[in-house]
Amino acid sequence: MKQGDNRTSEPFEGDRLWRSLEELTDPASAASAALREFPADNPWRGPDRADAPSRRRFLQVLGASAAMAGLVGCSDRPVEEKIVPYVRQPEQVVPGRPLIFATAMPFNGYGRGVLVESHEGRPTKIEGNPDHPASLGATDVFMQASILSLYDPDRSKTVTRAGRPSHWGAFATELTQRLEAKRQSGSRGIAILTGAVASPTMGAQIKDLRRRFPEIAWYQYEPTARVNTMAGAQAAFGRPLTTLYHLDHARIIVSLDSDFLFEDPMSLRYARHFANARRVRSDTREITRLYVAESTLSITGSMADHRLPVRPAMITQITHALAARLGVAGISKLQFSGELDRFIATAADDLKQHPGTGVVIPGEAQPPEVHALAHAINQALKNVGTTVTCVEPAEVEPTDVRQALKKLVEAMENGTIDTLLILGGNPAYTAPADIPFAQALEKFSNARVADGRLTNFTARLGSHDDETTFLCQWHVPEAHYLEAWSDVRAADGTTSIIQPLILPLYAGRSAHELLALMLKETAQSPYELVRAHWRAQRRDSGDFEQWWLDTLKKGVIDGTASAPVQVGAAKIPAPSSTPSTSVTSLDLIFRPDPCVWDGSFANNAWLQELPKPFTKLVWDNAALISPTTAHRQGLWDGDAVTLMISGKQVDAPVRVLPGLPDDVVVAHLGYGRRRGGAVATDENGVRGFDAYALWASSTPGFATGLTLQKRSRRWELVATRNHHAMSALQGVDHVAGVKPHLKPDVVVTPETSRDELELKNRRLVRVVSLPQFRSNPQAVRELGGESAKKPVLSLYPTSWDYSQGPQWGMSIDLQTCIGCNACIVACQAENNIPIVGKFEVARMREMHWLRVDSYFSGSPDRPSVYHQPVPCMHCENAPCEYVCPTGATTHSTQGLNEMTYNRCIGTRYCSNNCPYKVRRFNFFAFGYQSSKGPEQLQKNPDVTVRTRGVMEKCSYCVQRINRTRIEVEKTVLDLTEQQRTDEARQRRQAMYNDLQTACQQACPTGAIVFGDITDRQSTVATLKAQPHDYTLLDELTTRPRTSYLARVTNPNPALGEGGVA
Amino acid sequence: MAQLFKPWTNSLARGTIYVLILGGALGGWIAYGIQTSPYASYQGVVRDQPVPFSHEHHVGGLGIDCRYCHTSVTDSSFAGLPATQVCMTCHSQIWTNAALLEPVRQSWRTQTPIHWTRVNSLPGYVYFDHSIHVAKGVGCATCHGPVDRMPLMYQAQTLQMRFCLDCHRDPTQYLRPRDQVFNMAYQPPPDQARLGRELAERYHVRDVQSLTNCSTCHR
Repeated sequence: MKQGDNRTSEPFEGDRLWRSLEELTDPASAASAALREFPADNPWRGPDRADAPSRRRFLQVLGASAAMAGLVGCSDRPVEEKIVPYVRQPEQVVPGRPLIFATAMPFNGYGRGVLVESHEGRPTKIEGNPDHPASLGATDVFMQASILSLYDPDRSKTVTRAGRPSHWGAFATELTQRLEAKRQSGSRGIAILTGAVASPTMGAQIKDLRRRFPEIAWYQYEPTARVNTMAGAQAAFGRPLTTLYHLDHARIIVSLDSDFLFEDPMSLRYARHFANARRVRSDTREITRLYVAESTLSITGSMADHRLPVRPAMITQITHALAARLGVAGISKLQFSGELDRFIATAADDLKQHPGTGVVIPGEAQPPEVHALAHAINQALKNVGTTVTCVEPAEVEPTDVRQALKKLVEAMENGTIDTLLILGGNPAYTAPADIPFAQALEKFSNARVADGRLTNFTARLGSHDDETTFLCQWHVPEAHYLEAWSDVRAADGTTSIIQPLILPLYAGRSAHELLALMLKETAQSPYELVRAHWRAQRRDSGDFEQWWLDTLKKGVIDGTASAPVQVGAAKIPAPSSTPSTSVTSLDLIFRPDPCVWDGSFANNAWLQELPKPFTKLVWDNAALISPTTAHRQGLWDGDAVTLMISGKQVDAPVRVLPGLPDDVVVAHLGYGRRRGGAVATDENGVRGFDAYALWASSTPGFATGLTLQKRSRRWELVATRNHHAMSALQGVDHVAGVKPHLKPDVVVTPETSRDELELKNRRLVRVVSLPQFRSNPQAVRELGGESAKKPVLSLYPTSWDYSQGPQWGMSIDLQTCIGCNACIVACQAENNIPIVGKFEVARMREMHWLRVDSYFSGSPDRPSVYHQPVPCMHCENAPCEYVCPTGATTHSTQGLNEMTYNRCIGTRYCSNNCPYKVRRFNFFAFGYQSSKGPEQLQKNPDVTVRTRGVMEKCSYCVQRINRTRIEVEKTVLDLTEQQRTDEARQRRQAMYNDLQTACQQACPTGAIVFGDITDRQSTVATLKAQPHDYTLLDELTTRPRTSYLARVTNPNPALGEGGVA
Repeated sequence: MAQLFKPWTNSLARGTIYVLILGGALGGWIAYGIQTSPYASYQGVVRDQPVPFSHEHHVGGLGIDCRYCHTSVTDSSFAGLPATQVCMTCHSQIWTNAALLEPVRQSWRTQTPIHWTRVNSLPGYVYFDHSIHVAKGVGCATCHGPVDRMPLMYQAQTLQMRFCLDCHRDPTQYLRPRDQVFNMAYQPPPDQARLGRELAERYHVRDVQSLTNCSTCHR
C-alpha cells in the first residue's frame, strides 16, 4: 500500500502477508513447511502412533506392494446390475435428467428461497433462488449443508416414549385424550414452545388453537432471535419493526459491531448489494466506503476500509459520539481522544457529506439503545427511505424470546401448566445459563402424583435424540424442510411455500401435523393444511389451482414483501449507565458459530470440517483472544483456560486471533453438545466447549467481568490456516528466534536487495487503493514486478490450439470475496467430496477442492485481512501433468486440466509438483466406504465417487460443462440443420454464459466468474482484460486459467491508508 | 574344491531365462485373453430376465420403433426402460392370459416395478450420453448390434474403452444420416468414408482431439 506512491524505490515492507502468527514470527519454518507437501511431523504422533516403519518392515511393504500392484490393476468382473423402471412414469421425469424445484429453507425463523436439484426423486444439491429477495440466487454455508442434514443417519427415526420405541398412533391417542379431558375442564395448563414462527399457516393454526383452547400458552424461543434489533425499534418508534438496508444505494456504510454480510437474515442480499457497489473495473470512479467499529473480527470487518477493534461496551459510546456529531437532538457530546476520536470524526464527516447515501448499521449484539440511536442517526442523515427502511416484522408475533422462556420456566415450576409440547428447536441446550430450563423440564417431566402416575405430559417434536428429547416423555421425529409442506416468510415479509422434495425418510412429522392433531382437524396432512390456508387467503382472487402452480414454480408469492412503514421521529432512550469496562477483567463476547450456528448444525460433518473464517479451526470452537491479551495472560494456542463470569465457569481452549480488540474473549455458541449425534459429540465425550453455560439472558451480546484462569492441560485444536502454503519465500529468517507471543517487527532489512525482495515477495494477494489504481491502472501488475505480460518461453512444442472456443477460464475478484465459505460447501456438495475427520485434517489430509486462504498484513493487533479462494488453476503449462507416470492427469482441448480417476495409481507426484497445492489425495476410502448409510443418497450421480489411492482436485465442474456442452451441441445442430447459423451462434454463447460452476453459483457477492475466455462478450473475458487482473506465481510460467482481480481499498484520505492503525 | 556349478547349470540358467520371458509373455497373453473375453466383457452373453422379452418379435416382427419404449434416448444420457404401463398399453388387450407375461401383470396389479437385469453396462466412472450420440448420427445398431434379430437380449460389443475409442478416434467410419439412426436394417453405403466425412462436418462432430479428451467420458 505504501509503496504505491513511490513504487520503484521503496521495498514492499508494508504488506508482507502472513496467514498465521507462526508464519509471521517464524518465517523460516513456515518457508520450509511450504516446500513440503505434507508436514514432516505428524502433529499427534505419540508413542502409540509411532508409525515410522523399520528398515526391514519398509522393504517388506515395498516388496509386497510391488507384487500386489499388478493384481490391484485388475478390476472385478462387473457385478450384475438391475434396472428398475417405473410402473407408471411420472410426468416430467426423464431418467438421467435432474429436476429443479423451488422451495424455501427456514433458518433462524426466517425463510430463504432455494432451488433444489432432484435426481429421480432424490434431492442432491441446494442452490439459491434468484427470485427470492433474501437469496438473489446465492446461498450460504447453512443452505448448502442442509442437504446433508436431510440424510443424517443420526436423525431420530421412531416415536419414543420415555426412550422406548412407540408409534404415532399411541402418541396421538394419549395427546388427544389428554386435550379432550382438558377442554372439558377449561383448557387450563396447556403450553406449546416453538422457535420463532414466521409461517403464516402455523400462525393461523395457533390462532385456531387459541380459539379451541382459550387458555393455551404459546411461547417462542430462538437462541439467535433478533431481540435487540426489535427492542431498539420498540424504543425508537414504540413498536417492534424490522430494519432493512438497501446497500446498493449506499456510498458510506458504518457498521457498529454488525456482521451484516454474514449473520443477518438478509445477509445474502446485503452481500450482493454491497459487492455491486464495491466492485472495481477500469472505469470505476467511486465505490462504497466501509467503516467498521467492532468487538470481534467479523466477515464484515475484514472488508472494512477503516476498522476499529474496540471493547464491546465502547460501541454505545461511539454511537453516542457519532449521533452528537451528526446533530441528533438531545445527545450530549462525548469527548474521545486519539484514534477513536479521529475514527468517529471522519466517519461522521463522511456520513454528513453523503446525506441519503450513507447508512449506519448496528449489530444485534449491541443493546437496544444503540439500535435506537442508529435509527435517529439515519433519520438525521435523511437515509430513511433510501438506504434504510422499516417494515412490519415477518414473525407472527414478535417476542422477546428470552423473556418468554423465563416465563415458561416459571410456569413449569409453579405448576400453572401440566401439558407441554416442544415443537422444534433444542431449548434444553440453547437456553441461557440463568434460565434453568433443562432442570425445570427434567423435574416437570418426572413429577408424579402419589400413586406413581406422571403428573405432567411433555412431548417433543425434534429431528434428533438430543438434550431436549432426553428430558421429555414423548419424542416425535421431525420432518426436514425438504420432507414436508409448509410456508415461511423472509425477514422482509416475502412469503414462500415450502414444497417437499421427498417423502419423510423416517416417518417424520411437521409441526403443522401436530397442531392439526391438537385441533382435531380432519385434513391433517401438511399439504392440505398449507393449501387450505392459502385457499382461504385467496378466496376472492381467481383461479387458485393456477396460482398455486405458478407460486410453487416461482418459489415466492408475488406481492407479499412488506411495504415500508412510515415512522415518526426516533425517540432516543435515556442513556443507560455506561457499563464499567474494568481494566482488570475481560469482556466475554457471544456469537453464533460461523459453521454450526446455534448448535443446530452440530451433527453436520460438512460444517464441522469447514475451516472457520480467520481461525481456520475445524471440528472445535475456541475462546478467541488477541495476541496482546494472550501475551499478557501468558497463553497460547491450545492452552486450556477456565472462563469465569458471574459465578458460572467453563473450561475452554484458547486460540489467538490477530485483529481482535484487546481484553475480550470471543466465544462461539453451538459447541459442547452432550447428545444429538455421532458428529455433534466426540467419541471421548464433548466436542468443543459449551458457551451457553456462560450465556446470560440479560447480556446476550456480551458480558463484562470475565476472568481467565490458565489450566495445565492442553487442548488439541486443529486448524488449516498453515496448510497448503503456496510461497516458501515470504519471509526472511532474521526473526526466527522471536517467541511467538512477542510482537514481531517488520522483517525486511535495508540490506535486502531488490531482486531478492521481488523473489521473496510473490504477491499472492495484491492490494492497491482506489486513488492509486485510478492514477496508475498498471499498479497491480507493477506490484508483481510484471509491468507487462511477459511472453512465455518454452522448449515444449505448443500442443494445443487455444484459439478455438470454448476455452474455460475463471476470474476471482478479491475485492468482493468476503470469505463466507459458501463456495467450499457448494463444491463439496456438487463434487461428492468426503470429509476426513479431525485427526486426518491435522495431517493435512482434508479433501476440499477449494480452499479459502485468509491473509493478514500489518501488525498483529490491527491487521488488514484478505480472503483468497484457491481452486485448481487449470494451468496451460500444468506442472502436474508432466510428472504423471500413467497419464491420469492430462490437458483437454478446452484448457481443462483433467483428472482421470480410473487411471490414477496414486504416486502423488502431481501434488508434489503443484505449486498451488490444490491436489488432494484419498489416503483412505473416505468417500467410498462411508457409502453405506443414507448419506449416499446425497451423492451427485454425475460425478465419480473416488476410492482409496486416487488423486483428485477441482475439475471446474466438468460435469456441468459437459451437460451444457451436450445441450449446446444438440441445440446448435437442430438450428444449423435449418440453416440458421447466426441464431445458432447466439444461442451457443447464451447457453455457455448461463453455465456456472458450483462455487460461482453459491457465491453471495458474485466474486467468482467462470466462462469461455475466447468469447469477448463473456463476463470472464472482460474481467481478464481488466488492468488489475493477475495470476498467482506468474513467474513459474504455468499460465493459470484462474486469475484474480486485486483488492482495491477505498480509504478516507483524512485517515490515511489501511485503516486507523 | 569341486566345482560348485556343474556344466549343465549353464543350460538351466539359459532355460530359466527363456522360461521367464516366454512365461511372462504367456501370462500376459492369457491375461489379455481373459480381459477381452466374454467372461470379462459379457459380450454375447444372454442374461436372465424376469420376462423373456424378445426384441426380435417386437422390433423385427412388429416393427415397433426403439423410441416407443426407450423414450428418453434423444433427451437424456439414459435411454430409459419402459414403465410397466407401456407394456400394458398392448398387453392389457393381447396375450392377456399368457403365462410368460405374468410378471408384467403382477407388476401392474401390485404397483411394484419389474427388476430387469442390465445388459449393456459401463463402469461407474464412465459417463455415456445416449442423446448426443443419437443426435450426431450414431445408429443404435452400431453399439447394440442387430437387436431386431435378438430373441433374447445380449450385449453385442465388448463396450471396453478400446471399442469406444475406435469410433472416437475416427467417427467417420460409423456415422449415418440422422434419419437412419433408428433404422435396424441400415447398411452403410460403399462410399462410407466420403459420407462419414460429409456427415461429420454437417453434424459438427468435434475434432478427434476433443473427442478423446479424458473428460469427454470420465469426470
